[in-house]
Amino acid sequence: MSVRKKPQKPAGPQTRGAKALKAFHEEGEVEKQIDLELLTRLWPFAKPDARYLLVSLGALLVLAALGLARPVLLQRGLDATSTATDHDGLFRAAIALLAVMLIEQVLIFVQAISMQLVGARAMSRLRIHVFRFLHGRRLAFFDTQPIGRLVTRVTNDIDSIGEMFASGALNAVGDLVKLVGIVVMMLALNWKLALIAFIAVPPVGLLVDWVRRRARVAFRQIRDKTARLNSFLAEQVSGMAVVQAYAREDAAQREFDEINVAYRDANYRAIALDAMLDATVEMVSSVCVAAMIWYAGAHAFGDAVTFGTLVAFIAYIEQFFGPIRDLSARYTQIQSSLTGCERIFMLLENTDVDETANPSPKDGDPDLAVELDHVTFGYKPDQPVLRDVSLRVKRGERIALVGATGSGKSTIASLVLRLYECTDGVVRASGKDVTGLGRAELRRQFAVVPQDVFLFPGTVAENIAVGETPDLARVQASLERVGALDLFLRREGGLSAMVTERGNNFSAGERQLLAFARALYREANVLVLDEATASVDSVTEARLTEALERMLEGRTALVIAHRLSTVRAADRIVVLSKGRIVEQGTHEELLAMGGTYARLHALALGRGGDTALLAAGE
Amino acid sequence: MSPDRPHYPTTLAGQFRRHAGAYALGAILLAVQQTLMLGRDWLFKTGVDAASKDQSTEAVRAAAIAIGVIAVAAVVRVLSRVVMFNGGRAVEYEMRAELLARLHQLGPSFFRKIPTGDILSRATNDLAQVRLLLGFGVLNVVNTVFALASALTLMLGVSVRLTFAALASGPVLMLLTRWFSKQMFQRTRENQEALGQMSDRVQASLSGVRVVRSLSLEESEIAQFEKASEIYLVKSLRLAQIRGTMFPIMGAVSAVGMLTVFWYGGSLVQSGGITRGDFVAFWAALSRLVWPLLALGFVTSIMTRGRAGYERLRTIYEAEPEVVDGPLPAPTLFPGALSVHGLTYRIGKRDVLSDVSFDVPAGGSLAIVGRTGSGKSTLAAMLPRLLPTPRGSVLLDGIDVCDLPLSAVRRAIGYAQQDAFLFSTTVARNVAFALDDPDSDAAHARIEAASAEAQIKTEIEDLPDGFDTVVGERGVQLSGGQRQRVALARSFLWEPSVLVLDDPLSAVDAKTEARILEAIERQANKRTLLLITHRVAAAARCDRIVVLDGGKVVEQGTHAELLRQDGIYAALAEEQRAEGELRELGAGAPIEGVA
Repeated sequence: MSVRKKPQKPAGPQTRGAKALKAFHEEGEVEKQIDLELLTRLWPFAKPDARYLLVSLGALLVLAALGLARPVLLQRGLDATSTATDHDGLFRAAIALLAVMLIEQVLIFVQAISMQLVGARAMSRLRIHVFRFLHGRRLAFFDTQPIGRLVTRVTNDIDSIGEMFASGALNAVGDLVKLVGIVVMMLALNWKLALIAFIAVPPVGLLVDWVRRRARVAFRQIRDKTARLNSFLAEQVSGMAVVQAYAREDAAQREFDEINVAYRDANYRAIALDAMLDATVEMVSSVCVAAMIWYAGAHAFGDAVTFGTLVAFIAYIEQFFGPIRDLSARYTQIQSSLTGCERIFMLLENTDVDETANPSPKDGDPDLAVELDHVTFGYKPDQPVLRDVSLRVKRGERIALVGATGSGKSTIASLVLRLYECTDGVVRASGKDVTGLGRAELRRQFAVVPQDVFLFPGTVAENIAVGETPDLARVQASLERVGALDLFLRREGGLSAMVTERGNNFSAGERQLLAFARALYREANVLVLDEATASVDSVTEARLTEALERMLEGRTALVIAHRLSTVRAADRIVVLSKGRIVEQGTHEELLAMGGTYARLHALALGRGGDTALLAAGE
Repeated sequence: MSPDRPHYPTTLAGQFRRHAGAYALGAILLAVQQTLMLGRDWLFKTGVDAASKDQSTEAVRAAAIAIGVIAVAAVVRVLSRVVMFNGGRAVEYEMRAELLARLHQLGPSFFRKIPTGDILSRATNDLAQVRLLLGFGVLNVVNTVFALASALTLMLGVSVRLTFAALASGPVLMLLTRWFSKQMFQRTRENQEALGQMSDRVQASLSGVRVVRSLSLEESEIAQFEKASEIYLVKSLRLAQIRGTMFPIMGAVSAVGMLTVFWYGGSLVQSGGITRGDFVAFWAALSRLVWPLLALGFVTSIMTRGRAGYERLRTIYEAEPEVVDGPLPAPTLFPGALSVHGLTYRIGKRDVLSDVSFDVPAGGSLAIVGRTGSGKSTLAAMLPRLLPTPRGSVLLDGIDVCDLPLSAVRRAIGYAQQDAFLFSTTVARNVAFALDDPDSDAAHARIEAASAEAQIKTEIEDLPDGFDTVVGERGVQLSGGQRQRVALARSFLWEPSVLVLDDPLSAVDAKTEARILEAIERQANKRTLLLITHRVAAAARCDRIVVLDGGKVVEQGTHAELLRQDGIYAALAEEQRAEGELRELGAGAPIEGVA
């Protein structure tokens, strides 16, 4: 099938930005042929409900047969009325008809429900499978994939496959059987009359196809424009202050109008095409009836056609053109479902599996909480971020990592948790090589506080007790210990207050405190803390400093430090530069050593006032 | 705000009146179509009766005319749909255009009340309900009336008793559709909500994947997702149930009517009460009544929903803008002298700003310094009236900004907000946000100049498509520091008389900061400059400094004067000097010599 290309705008200075934007907004769509291989890959997810699928397909066949029987009963009954004597004939036919219709409606119900059951359950299985699959990828996988696209896979794409079941597209099987049956029955009843009806099929088929092709283009445009309208409006609302500050309301209105007009016009086209399709089917049915009356009139009832046959034909024709109209739409639906299917299975072909535990002989000193033993690592093979780093953290020791942005501080934390695998050397936790530990076993030893606190949808308590059903006493104790219990109890809803849109109903300071409480709740051996750089007011600042001190008291901790007070309070300061440890020791030792740290300290003191924050510029 | 933009009515009655012509035309077309269908049925009757009596010519003639009538009816039918449904789409288009126009006039106090998601849902779901009401709803009410009139004319002519027998189930059908339609709507909505919650779950779980890994939450995340997925499954099946029940039940009810005609009508044919032609015509007329009766059921529930949807839209249409144009014409030139007198602003009971006063001469520069929460960002937004500035408190070149047209005030007082919001378009168009022709060569020269001034040009050129790189939603493709500098370039290109920069350095590294401060100094030489900052190093470069604390001006003077005063400013300077030590450690450059 051909995809119609939009006429290119004339080249010129206009097109540069416009072209880049067009490429960005219009996701390419390849039309798919029906591909059996994809269906077989889908099968395992539907298989547990295969019974229902069989029931549904069986019901479709019976329904087709019953639909074929109905006109015959009409014919029998009405032909009985032609003889003045046969009163039972009409009555018997009516009773039979009643029975057929009742069974039909029951079967329609059974068929639809079982089909949807198969579809919805299969999609639920597939969805959970994909979600689990994603969480089984290694972290580097997420660095290369836009999150929005992955979310689309799990939600929209799977729903589009489900539509194949929900919309009744698979009922096309029944439609095809029925069409063949009607053709046979009509030929059997009266082949001449049948041929009159069949003459209409090719033109109707061509017309339906013509309309559908155009309708498909219109519907695709409607879908694109709907997405554009929504995102434009969302952006206008979120960026309202900028729009107003630059007095761009009218310009925005004009741009919006372009999309709005395109959306409306695509709908106009779809309306006309839809109306044509419906009117055509109605017209053709009516014309067929008229043609049969013509034929019956020309030959007179009795000889060529009985009255009953005429009514039976009318009834067949009523059932005949509807499926022809729908077949094309159903084919399109299946195509779009298969497109979703293909995207999902392409994703499932990814092989970046998260590393599993392998028995390792490289265990070391169990008294060391964390140890890096000649570690080298780079996110990209040829660009090492850490070079031959060795670091030993004893139990109960508090280490401050200091260094420029990109010096490798955060990377050390990632390697300790085995979020990434080091290229060379060994990372140990409690003396065990991290590659020899199960993921959960390893990470349970640590409580991590990232620089940007991430909150999950749910309550405050659930966010503190992430991953478990909250134990309220422990939640309170954790908040108490960081000195923030009163703060959270004062809020409306207390500990059951909901976190909305990633926690933007909490201030930066509150989020930090919540993260501290979360770390304490875990009761882990080692705290890994990336100190926040966000600016907070002085009261909150003091509160956070105090909370930090209380949290770190008596614990093994690896702190990526940004505040001087944190650095000074550490048992040992580790200075990193360009992926190497250049100095380590206490604040006093390092000052006494007269090396980099001391020199910088002096420089800073001499230069005077500048801002609080470090490691910005990311 | 703009005189040349067409204004559309925003009430249901107003929209109905505006499109009354289309509705009238549609009604005429529907009347014609239903009359033609009556003709068709009557011709069927004539034809069948003639055939029964062996009157070939009559039968053939009736059939031939019927074919002509059917063809014309089909064309009229298409036209009636196009006219009426297009009316609904036109309503949707106009009300949507009007919606954005209204939103543009509203300020933060409105957007705090109604979250973005809520506004979007009104603009899509609720507007769709209004469209259905004024398109599908109107068409089907009119169509059902005409269809009933046309079909009943024929049916009653054939047999009054048969008509009553056949239509006995009609009201039941209508009531059932109405009930099902309500259920469908409700369950569809529940289904969408469940889908929304599931999507949020996926979104949170995947965007927080680092945290999930670090805390080893994979299994609990999967369990949570399974729960959300299960709820969605249940809701989908509930929707499937109603869909699966609706069609068979409605099918059964309408089958009762057809069956009645078959049995009772059949016996009437046998006894000679009605002719065969009567039977066929009656059958045809009843068939075309089924859909209008069903539709009427849908329409009654569409009316309820359409009105409810409109009520939600009305809160946007009728929201009172807090900030409106002033009565005076805009002067051609603003030299840029700004004075603030006794500016007080409160949210609820809290004074965010109280009695703030200061003056900046044209071409002067002023830093507003304070800690987070001191009210300095609110003050900045008040100057170009992005918040409801009280009358008489902000004067631009001696004129109260509340007396001037909004566009003139905002043209004169350029404001770059702290949160560097970028639009999901190209870098070039973001920088040239203020320009009407961002793709022209002249514009491009200005874009490059402004980007160079904001220290971002070389970084933009290193992007995959340079200035034509699409930055993604809110500029996600760029780093925080890059976003901030693109926003800065945007404000430089604007070239206002008074430039207000709210914390333009919060996300840039030390080397870039120094260069940006130089650029800001160059800007200060060209125009009046207000710099909102908490950094003493940046404030020191301005002619004068105002220190805010708790919404009040607590100190005012030059850098040197304030340092001597031993107040908040001096304390900030001391704090930042101490923190600067650590910052130097992070700056990296000297360490490179060692490593």
